[in-house]
Amino acid sequence: MNVLLQIWAGYARLTRRWPGIAAIIPFIPVLALWTAVSEAGLFPRAFFPGPADVIRAFFTLTYKGILPDYLQDSLIRLATGAAVGMALGIPLGILIGTSRWAHRICWPVLLFFQAIGDIAWLPILLIWFGFGLTTMTFVIVYTVLFPVVLNTVLGVESVPRDLSRAALSLGASRARVLWEVTLPGALPNIITGLRNGLGYGWRALIAVEMIVGTSGIGFMMFDARRAGSTVEIILGMIILGLLWYIVDAWILAPLERATGQRWGLVTS
Amino acid sequence: MKTLSLRNLGKTYFDPYAGAHVTAVHDVSLDVEPGEFISVVGPSGCGKTTILNMIAGFIPYSKGDILLDGKPVHGPGPERGVVFQSFALFPWKTVLDNVGFGPKMRGVPKAERDRIAHEYLALAGLSHAAHRYPNELSGGMQQRVGVVRALANNPDVLLMDEPFASVDAQTRMTLQEELTRIWQERKPTVIFITHDVSEAVFLANRVVVLSKGRVLDEIAVDLPRPRIWDDLVRDDEFKQLSARVLQMVRAA
Repeated sequence: MNVLLQIWAGYARLTRRWPGIAAIIPFIPVLALWTAVSEAGLFPRAFFPGPADVIRAFFTLTYKGILPDYLQDSLIRLATGAAVGMALGIPLGILIGTSRWAHRICWPVLLFFQAIGDIAWLPILLIWFGFGLTTMTFVIVYTVLFPVVLNTVLGVESVPRDLSRAALSLGASRARVLWEVTLPGALPNIITGLRNGLGYGWRALIAVEMIVGTSGIGFMMFDARRAGSTVEIILGMIILGLLWYIVDAWILAPLERATGQRWGLVTS
Repeated sequence: MKTLSLRNLGKTYFDPYAGAHVTAVHDVSLDVEPGEFISVVGPSGCGKTTILNMIAGFIPYSKGDILLDGKPVHGPGPERGVVFQSFALFPWKTVLDNVGFGPKMRGVPKAERDRIAHEYLALAGLSHAAHRYPNELSGGMQQRVGVVRALANNPDVLLMDEPFASVDAQTRMTLQEELTRIWQERKPTVIFITHDVSEAVFLANRVVVLSKGRVLDEIAVDLPRPRIWDDLVRDDEFKQLSARVLQMVRAA
């Protein structure tokens, strides 16, 4: 009992000094299990590779320059799609959130198109734009757009009415109210929308790259299947998880906290 | 400083749930002199908040006139400052920037509006909180910021909608005393909405009793200033006035 408590205290001290470690430690059992299963020889090596094989593949592909290139392609596509999705989604969300007429007209249409999932657009997109960047960008923008719009609307509507009234009676014009009250008030929700949108967009991108791609992580994984290279497939999967963790935990989540929690708009 | 006049003011709106027109304010006429402190008191549903919202320009009125220095007012404007029951401070702005918001909207440069904000924060004893965010302050302190934010914009009329209803009883007394002190120093024209009879009498020069959308009576309050609760709780005139107003409100 005493020993367990000491281990726990040591863990608490360690993670307080290096918070990054707290994210790594939970993966140790996962890695151990994976190593054990692959080393036990239950499955053929080519069918179920171990961590060492995947790490070796990582260095080989990095050395050849394939992995950095593909990674860069995927990230640029995601960033472009996210930027366009935000540029369209935030103004649209503000319009719908502030205007009752815009809400009445756009809301049903929005829900209709939201129901047609990103991948469901692929058949017609392939006919219209072919196997190329336009098709991929369309799908990502489409995926990012809905969470951004819906959360922006939610954010705009959640700004207390008294805040706009206060600004107006302090002499603000409607445009200034939008800039000084509506936008900052909706910001935590907008960031939540962006966070969700990027999460969906990242998954959609991999799916589209598998079907449409000529490069990218999704393409790498699907191409590896053709060659029967399980190592590269698993490497791709690990990269997807790691990359998302970095983007979400190191960029998006702190951003969300920095706005909402600082202002007391989001509790906890 | 300008005179505010309500002439036969009325408000009727359509209630979609009841499926009928509801009259919240029947016929209210009132003249407020510059530098006067008026309390409007009445039971809930008497239309007092509706009147304030019409003067502030947040909702349109159905009949009559609201005149500021003879000119009709429509829509919100900086000459009518508002203090809200919900405080309505901007959570993403520091206390200093909240108080400097009105001057900022007038195009006052940053250095000058900071100077104005500091001056008004000092008036409410809040200089130490200038760089904090509203959610870091207690309710009482937040409403002090709400009051000086409205004052820092130099309005002709200060409209206060049950501003102290959501703070605890002790803090409320302190805020009431501070408000009378600030009023004596700056002499703004104030319309103060409340359902608390002793608060109405404590603060005002004149108490307007409202009932079912009409003015029931007006009572002049000539109690000496500065007004302090420790003195007034034992003051016979204060007790009599409060009793009289309370009787009217309860009969209303």
